[in-house]
Amino acid sequence: MIFRKGSFLAMFCWRHCRPWLRLLLILPLLAVGMSRLAHAQAQRFELDLTNPNFQRIAIAIPDFKRQSSEQTQLAREMGETLAGDLDFSGIFRPLDPKGFLEDPQTMGLNAPEIKFPDWRRLGADYMVRGNYLVQGGTVKIEARLFDVAAGRPVIAKAYEGDVRTWRAMIHRFADEILYALTGERGVFDTKIAYVQSMGKNKEIFISDFDGNNPVQASRDNSLCLSPAWNPQMSQIAYVSYRDGNAKIYLLNLQDGSSRLLCGYPGMNISPAWRPGRPELAVTLTRDGNPDIFLVSASSGQILQKLVQGRSINVSPDWSPDGRSLAFVSDESGNPQIYAIDVGSGQKRRLTFSGTYNTSPSWSPKGDFIAYSGTVGGRHHIFIMKTDGSGNRQLTDGDGDDVSPTWSPDGRMIAFSSTRQGGSAIWVSSVNGIGVRRLTRQGGGQELPDWSPRMSGR
Amino acid sequence: MRLSCGSLYRILLILVLIGGMAACQKKPASSGGAMGGEGAAMGGGFGSGDMGGLNQAKYRELGLNTPEEIREFENRRAAFENQDIYYDYDSYVLTEPAKRILDEKISFLKRYARVRVTVEGHCDERGTTEYNLALGERRANSALQYIRNSGLSIQNLTSVSYGKERPVAMGHDEASWAKNRRAHFVLNF
Repeated sequence: MIFRKGSFLAMFCWRHCRPWLRLLLILPLLAVGMSRLAHAQAQRFELDLTNPNFQRIAIAIPDFKRQSSEQTQLAREMGETLAGDLDFSGIFRPLDPKGFLEDPQTMGLNAPEIKFPDWRRLGADYMVRGNYLVQGGTVKIEARLFDVAAGRPVIAKAYEGDVRTWRAMIHRFADEILYALTGERGVFDTKIAYVQSMGKNKEIFISDFDGNNPVQASRDNSLCLSPAWNPQMSQIAYVSYRDGNAKIYLLNLQDGSSRLLCGYPGMNISPAWRPGRPELAVTLTRDGNPDIFLVSASSGQILQKLVQGRSINVSPDWSPDGRSLAFVSDESGNPQIYAIDVGSGQKRRLTFSGTYNTSPSWSPKGDFIAYSGTVGGRHHIFIMKTDGSGNRQLTDGDGDDVSPTWSPDGRMIAFSSTRQGGSAIWVSSVNGIGVRRLTRQGGGQELPDWSPRMSGR
Repeated sequence: MRLSCGSLYRILLILVLIGGMAACQKKPASSGGAMGGEGAAMGGGFGSGDMGGLNQAKYRELGLNTPEEIREFENRRAAFENQDIYYDYDSYVLTEPAKRILDEKISFLKRYARVRVTVEGHCDERGTTEYNLALGERRANSALQYIRNSGLSIQNLTSVSYGKERPVAMGHDEASWAKNRRAHFVLNF
């Protein structure tokens, strides 16, 4: 608006002023233009999430505006789901809707109708205005993110589809908000696979990233462990005792079928998909010792023996470039974490403090390895750099925290914890802040594995 | 009272029927009366129809034919299966008491060489799932190795590890943990 008024004035002066004055007119416009450009670029926040003093961005999300009389409750649920996602990311701090001045059902949807000074006074950095229309079984959602200080929209998106998929649409918008403000999408449409205890048995389950909508995936009526998503999110490798001893199977997520991958004599455990290649690292005891092998993802055939010796070698986890493998070995006398460069075979020890370090998980960003170490007899989650230096304790308190797994954007770590009695899946952002519980069903949940993002996004 | 021919005939018929039923019962029905009591104690396997039939075939496979042999086998089998061997924390080394128990198991196996045995390795709840699966297997294998070293060449000896997944004691203290760090022997039929 200022620009429009300014340009009118400028055109008036241009015609009527001396040439050197024209220069004076141009300069402020240039300055305004440059500052807008700078401001637009400053929309991308340099977020150092590993900094414990990180300040969250305040965001206001009033109820969505209904545009029909169907499904009126979604007005609040959509707003709350979006706020929950953004809060979950550890980057945003949603403001309490009770403090909002206007009725969301009468409030405007576009910038000219929005009273930005009111939102500024509430302390909001950003504001989301959404509306939805339900007709029969279809829903149409529109959502806009506003920069409150600048008083203008940042992104505007529209979604349409089966009304039962409204949650997925909200998750997608949350991802878009993160992308617009941080340069990287969130993880709101990802899933977590985990092990659920069912009486004497254990089965593989899958839930949303926030622990909602748990769905049973395996039906072995046996002991199932160690689920591992493949990079295409089409299969889950897992260990099952349904045939008597520990064998590795592949669960097909399209049709729910599962087929045997590795059934060598002895134990077949710890499957880990290799990024970029149709291969897995697994631990097999077929040669009399728990060794780590590279096997084909289609046939389970052994391609290479990666780690061998007289010690226990388990829990392989790949670097994102598929060239290195972190794993656990007790060759020093107790379990410690090592890394091996698969090409050269060069092995190095990473953990030196503590007497029991296991469950390495290599960040998708490649810069950190999370693991479970013991402190005072209790297991807690740690992070270290990939050369083993800079190790930092992420969780503490009651219970045991084990089995860390990274979110695909490398910002969060899910793990299983017994801090509230039985075992459940919890999540922490990488700076250790915002530790929260994800799963709440009876029985116990453990051994989580965070899915990749759906391909093409 | 003098029996008429008709009633004599009837009594004879009944006796034949009883005798026939007795003969039809699977062995060792000849001393079914005496075994019946112990059979009941053993879970009613003897002379009780199908259940008894299955066991009889298996016993014969193992070379057990008389009731005495079977009884002795069942007694020793109970000891073989019910007595576990125990390990120290994070260890798969056989302690001296463990070796003594294994020696008894070895004599059982020498005597009943045709049995099929699975050795299960177990861990306490501490530590992580996968490492404990490997440790459990180490425990099962160290017991198996000791048995093989005694000269027994048992073909039907296998091992399985359950890591910390199948505890017998549910407490969160050393008393429970010690009971879970074990190798357990199971006979397979």
